[in-house]
Amino acid sequence: MTTRTELTGAASIVAAPGTDPDALAVLVTWACGPRRDLDALRRRVRDGRARPGPDDVDLSTRPGAALVAEALEDGGPSGPPADVALRILRMWAGLGVRVCVVGDAAYPRPLAEGWPGLDGPTLLAWRGQPPATAGPGVAIVGSRNASAYGTAVAELLAASVSRAGGRVVSGGAVGIDAAAHAAAMGLPGGTTVVLGCGHAVGYPAAHARDGGLFDRILDDGGTVVSELLPEVAPHPGVIRARNRIVAGLSDLTVVVEGGGRSGALLTAGSAAERGREVLAVPGDILAPGSAAPLRLLAEGARACTGPQDVIALVPGLEQPPAGVAASSNAAGRSTLPAPVLQVLEQAGPRGVATEELVLAHGGSAGELVALLVRARVAGVVEEVAGGVRLRTTRPSVR
Amino acid sequence: MSAARLTVVDTLAVQGVEARPVRLECSVSGGLPGLRLVGLPDAAVREAGERVRAALQRSGFRWPPLRIVVNLAPADVPKVGTGFDLPLALAVLAASSQLEPRHLVGLYAHGELGLDGTLRGVPGLLAVARGARRLGADRLLVPEEGAAVVGGVGGLEVWPAHDLAEAVALLAGTARPRRLPDGRAAVPPDSGPEGPAAGEDLADVRGQPVARRAVEVAAAGGHHLLLVGPPGCGKSMLARRLVTVLPDLGHDQQLEVATIHGIAGGPCAVPSPRPPVRAPQSGISAAALVGGGGAASGRAGEMSLAHHGVLVLDELLETPRPVLDALRQPLEQGRVIIDRARSRVVLPAQVQLVATTNPCPCGMFGHPRRSCTCRPDRVERYRSRLSGPLLDRIDVHVAMRPVPREQLAGAGDGEPSVTVARRVAAARRLAADRQGDALNRDVAWPVVRSTTTTAAYRLLTDGLDALGASARANDRCLRVARSIADLAVSDTVEEDHVAEAMGLRLIGLPE
Repeated sequence: MTTRTELTGAASIVAAPGTDPDALAVLVTWACGPRRDLDALRRRVRDGRARPGPDDVDLSTRPGAALVAEALEDGGPSGPPADVALRILRMWAGLGVRVCVVGDAAYPRPLAEGWPGLDGPTLLAWRGQPPATAGPGVAIVGSRNASAYGTAVAELLAASVSRAGGRVVSGGAVGIDAAAHAAAMGLPGGTTVVLGCGHAVGYPAAHARDGGLFDRILDDGGTVVSELLPEVAPHPGVIRARNRIVAGLSDLTVVVEGGGRSGALLTAGSAAERGREVLAVPGDILAPGSAAPLRLLAEGARACTGPQDVIALVPGLEQPPAGVAASSNAAGRSTLPAPVLQVLEQAGPRGVATEELVLAHGGSAGELVALLVRARVAGVVEEVAGGVRLRTTRPSVR
Repeated sequence: MSAARLTVVDTLAVQGVEARPVRLECSVSGGLPGLRLVGLPDAAVREAGERVRAALQRSGFRWPPLRIVVNLAPADVPKVGTGFDLPLALAVLAASSQLEPRHLVGLYAHGELGLDGTLRGVPGLLAVARGARRLGADRLLVPEEGAAVVGGVGGLEVWPAHDLAEAVALLAGTARPRRLPDGRAAVPPDSGPEGPAAGEDLADVRGQPVARRAVEVAAAGGHHLLLVGPPGCGKSMLARRLVTVLPDLGHDQQLEVATIHGIAGGPCAVPSPRPPVRAPQSGISAAALVGGGGAASGRAGEMSLAHHGVLVLDELLETPRPVLDALRQPLEQGRVIIDRARSRVVLPAQVQLVATTNPCPCGMFGHPRRSCTCRPDRVERYRSRLSGPLLDRIDVHVAMRPVPREQLAGAGDGEPSVTVARRVAAARRLAADRQGDALNRDVAWPVVRSTTTTAAYRLLTDGLDALGASARANDRCLRVARSIADLAVSDTVEEDHVAEAMGLRLIGLPE
């Protein structure tokens, strides 16, 4: 039989600074009961208010603990749900997860806006840096089935945002999400992943494995957050629901690519609901992967014609002085012969086929291959699907 | 006839790609007339009695009305095929005093008999001839049909015979042996559906300078080659043309190739200086690829038919995993070992593998104009089928992209095979002066390492580290660098050679 003291003790290990362990224990226990979920707290607060109206709960005067006590105090934690809750709190502790409740100091302010009218998550569990760290956030989202174009755009935008000091927020899926996360690493802004499952579920497997994308993001000082209890599996409902957190954590959302029913549209919808800017990347009108951004454009979203559009719209992001990106590699670039460098510069982030570089170089294929390898070892160029391109970001941590 | 008479005739049984000695012991005695064959004969050998009896009578000899027992010794060698007809006929003739046994001393005989006494060719005559010479035979009696292939075997008197009557006349000294037909003249103009069609040339391939260079380097060191690219970029075309820049085979190598093809019925049964090419389709079974299917004697697979030549595997990733796994050990050891309950057969399989594959399931990954419709994780899974041990053994990897149409329409812009082959031959000579017959692919590691400058070796280890390549890549890269140095006629491996070698393994495959 689990006692309240035990529960509070376990909760104090995972509670973020400023989060009341007792309230957290009550909340988790309540959520572990039959036919209950974490969102019930929000609904109870919303529905239990004396007068319905547009004004929201002022979370600055009513922190999470008070809400939990008011809304859920029905006899205190006991019985089987308390046993489950204890196990869950310990599981979080074992994974190194910290947890906070809406209204707490550690809970990101942009996400709490409009609560409980807007459905910011009741609880937030994260690994790595606290998600409330200062600095603007930009959501870069798109489909898992990404084209080479979409991947290149996502990388370009993410690197620029991160270099300008903005956090890149995305859903941690394969495709556009992964490209955005990876490109943002190693730069000032860093990146935040919003999982569509609990922390104890390794999904997507390729990113959650040891040394995978998520580990690299954590090593880089990034954050992996989830609103879910640790063992919740990634079914379509919760995966869609995490998109609202991606939008909520960000000051602006860019939809890079997605089909007609893409989850990126939900992210854009949540952002619009919160009154935040939505940008869409114009795509090939014949490609199925362009349906989502093109629809957003038709509905009046701004077009994203380059990183400068994003940086101009988000207060706090600063375009690094021109030439910083280039100068970081200037020494390395000078090792490439001028004609080759010129072709690479013209090709931009899309890259250029090695064969074209052979023509530009004028020498033998062997000589060019040797040149490219030296440039790649020096971090000047990198491989892309279409060939080789100049590297604009710092080499990421492997 | 009071006592049983015993005569012996020597012949050979083909097992794997070798001929092993088999002695026919024939005993005739009184009793119920009939023929009994003992000593592990297969179905075709058991039927030999019927053919020999008819052939004897048609050739003007008599079938003795006696009890005949023929033992094929040693019993543990599987005897397959119809080549035992001729020695069986000679044994019966000698046992029934129609041929003097002294004529059979130092003689090996092998061949099939028709019911009318005609001698017919059998597969594997070259293996038989080489086996007979190894065993110290004086003379080898074979069917005239197909005897041309054994012309290259020296140190052995080969007597071709048209039929049984002529064979007996030759042995008895009443006829003079004819000259063997010239093997070279008998080479068919088209060496079969798998061989390179006449006129295939590297100049046919437009553009693709990097991939062509990779072919040249791979040819120089015998390195296995992997070409990755979307459909229509010319990877299969290039793969089939690797053989056109390889140097001619030596005399012994030609005999080895012809021996294997002679046994298996391949297209290169007549010794020829050009290396064989085998390009099995991607649905091939493991047994057909590495050999060992069917008969107890161990049938050679595509890998052995490509011995001293090129094995082209198109769409490597469409090949089932068990088949890919079967490929690994023979690639490493240069031979196929087939263990059977009663025997172990070793088939030579020193092949140069040229594999092609799409970069992803739909094939369009990295295509400049069309977009790939595969999810990134599926692309990764597709490629992971190739990862690990097999990929480690393939030294040179190249990503190819489609050549723009305007370039395709223009005139051929590349070098012809002859020019490249000349450089490859020079590189091989340089390597041979240094290390003998071993190719850079197989030569002992210290030989490669000791000719590398300190600076070049540092570039290799630092560079592979920076690129995140595995430590195993180190060994393979340096071997490729050695081949590049050979092509540049350099005794030492310099930094530029190493850099290019790293590129030929890593460039073009985005992680």
